[in-house]
Amino acid sequence: MTATDYSQVAPQGNIFLPKECKIVNVKQVTELERHFTLKHADGSKVKFEPGQIMEVSLFGFGEIPIGYASSPTRENTFDIVIRTVGRVSGAVNKLNEGDSLFIRGPLGHGFPLEDLRKKDVLIVAGGIGLCPTRSLIQYITDKRSEFKRFILFYGTKDPSQQMFLDDIAKWKKANDVEYHETVDRGDSNWKGNVGVITELFKKTELSADTRVVICGPPIMFRFVVAECEKVGIKYENIYLDLERRMKCGVGKCGHCQINDKYACIDGPVFRYSDLKKLEEAL
Amino acid sequence: MNPYFITANDFDAFVTKMSKDKKVIGPKAKKQKFVFGEIKSADHLRLDYDVTILPPKKVFTPTCQTLVTFDGDKFEGNVDNDGVILFGVHFYDIRGIDITDLLFRENNRDVNYLAKREASTIVGSNIQNVSKRSFWGSIGTSDSGPKGHDAFLTKMDGGYVLECLTQKGEDLVKFGNWSKASAAQVSEAEKINKDVMDKCSQKLSHSSSEIAEKVRNSFDNQELWSNLAEDCFSCGSCNTVCPTCYCFDVQDKWNLNQVSGMRNRYWDSCLTEDFAKVSLGAGSEENFRETRGERFRHRIMRKATYLNEKLGTPACVGCGRCSAACTADIADPVNVINKIMEV
Ligand code: SF4
Ligand code: SF4
Ligand code: FES
Repeated sequence: MTATDYSQVAPQGNIFLPKECKIVNVKQVTELERHFTLKHADGSKVKFEPGQIMEVSLFGFGEIPIGYASSPTRENTFDIVIRTVGRVSGAVNKLNEGDSLFIRGPLGHGFPLEDLRKKDVLIVAGGIGLCPTRSLIQYITDKRSEFKRFILFYGTKDPSQQMFLDDIAKWKKANDVEYHETVDRGDSNWKGNVGVITELFKKTELSADTRVVICGPPIMFRFVVAECEKVGIKYENIYLDLERRMKCGVGKCGHCQINDKYACIDGPVFRYSDLKKLEEAL
Repeated sequence: MNPYFITANDFDAFVTKMSKDKKVIGPKAKKQKFVFGEIKSADHLRLDYDVTILPPKKVFTPTCQTLVTFDGDKFEGNVDNDGVILFGVHFYDIRGIDITDLLFRENNRDVNYLAKREASTIVGSNIQNVSKRSFWGSIGTSDSGPKGHDAFLTKMDGGYVLECLTQKGEDLVKFGNWSKASAAQVSEAEKINKDVMDKCSQKLSHSSSEIAEKVRNSFDNQELWSNLAEDCFSCGSCNTVCPTCYCFDVQDKWNLNQVSGMRNRYWDSCLTEDFAKVSLGAGSEENFRETRGERFRHRIMRKATYLNEKLGTPACVGCGRCSAACTADIADPVNVINKIMEV
């Protein structure tokens, strides 16, 4: 029953076969989230576009869609952040350095680097939305001269939810990153901004020609877009990184559909002007 | 490629011989209804069926299909490329297969579907009895005929005409006492297939393009969709029986040893409550199609508008299976669409 030669039928191979990766490093970053650094088990270089996704899997448990959380400019390893929400993520988050993980990817369409180059770029990340956008943040900071102003807004529910604390410390110090952060609720040690992420628009002047990338909980999108509109930023210059229920990641299973589009192959990054025509998007 | 003729007397021997050589899947009786199943001899075959309970889609997309097998950290793909002869398929079900062919081929070719599909032979057959709920006669345009079959069989007085369209179709002729069909027999077959087209008692009242436009423009009519879906049980039967529904879920299963196992795909239904639900952790979740109305709308949108441009036809082939399968009797595309057209 099992065929070995199906090269005629599908020259690119079997889209459901993952590749093995090794865990190089793992850190608990919040109560629910762990940050993994991985390398391909066969030693091959890591190639993808910032914003692309992968299916992370453990045999016997299943697969989950995850965005790359590091930039392809760091080609020997890549990062992912796994939040414990179910069976697969729970099992992955029990793994340690040296263990194997399996991935299928890169999948989908990432951030439009060509459209961002030589422009002011604003990234608005809410909660775990910082993980997939970190692929772009790192890319921009690695190739800083290719972009004009770089502004980063990061909002979380409370200070304990903040991830990538080392990165944050660097962004705060860097004079070519305009970093602003806020929390919905502070704690006794918190000295920074308290309030919703849109409040951060008051902290800086944006040009109408800024390119904006937004990633976060669905509820956040509409409010952030409204702020962009006030500054005169056009819908076609706003990009949204959408999360959907994904299963196959290759445009077959139907789970990630947004009207007639598939988040997994048409996205996960969409131009806001295109999403406006999709009633189910937001 | 040639048209052939066989007498009614010789036909049974042909079927039996063919089924000795290769696995043949065709329409069989099951109590008062019909199903596609393995045909081992001619007396199993019921070409006089009106419609089968399930479409033949399960041949190429089984209800449970193993994609990958694993043993510890070792794994391999599990591709079934055992071709079958799918025999006696009505034209609307061939169109259903044409649609899944296109969708599994586009973007990323899905070898787990295509390997078996491309190794198989499909033989269509004319509709001898029309099912009560079907409406294939009023769907599509003149160029929306079936494409993916290898041969087409038409029953007429005294025997059958077999029109071969591919080499795989031609290869079947060796199993029986086929002779070249006369021009008169070929035109008789054409007439039979043309005449049946207005035998459906159910009809859509508008053209596919009019329907596509109106249905799409009704997207925001919340009241309409929640009324249409009011009695929906979210059971997903309308998806299960549909020849053009192919959504799936992927799940891993352990063998008893808890070391080896497999990654399988299973049929899934967009009408069920959990289809578009994601858990976000810490007890919260998000459902991208939370209400019955939203899910019902998604199915109708997909059948009547979303895929039309890509397919050149709607993604509903008019088999009427969903109408018959729906306990609440609300799934019938004829009722739904004719109602939308009146709004
Ligand atoms: S429309 Fe009918 S068959 Fe479909 S999910 Fe609702 S009740 Fe079930
Ligand atoms: S929507 Fe209903 S009538 Fe149309 S193809 Fe599917 S099952 Fe048949
Ligand atoms: S995740 Fe399966 S179609 Fe997008």
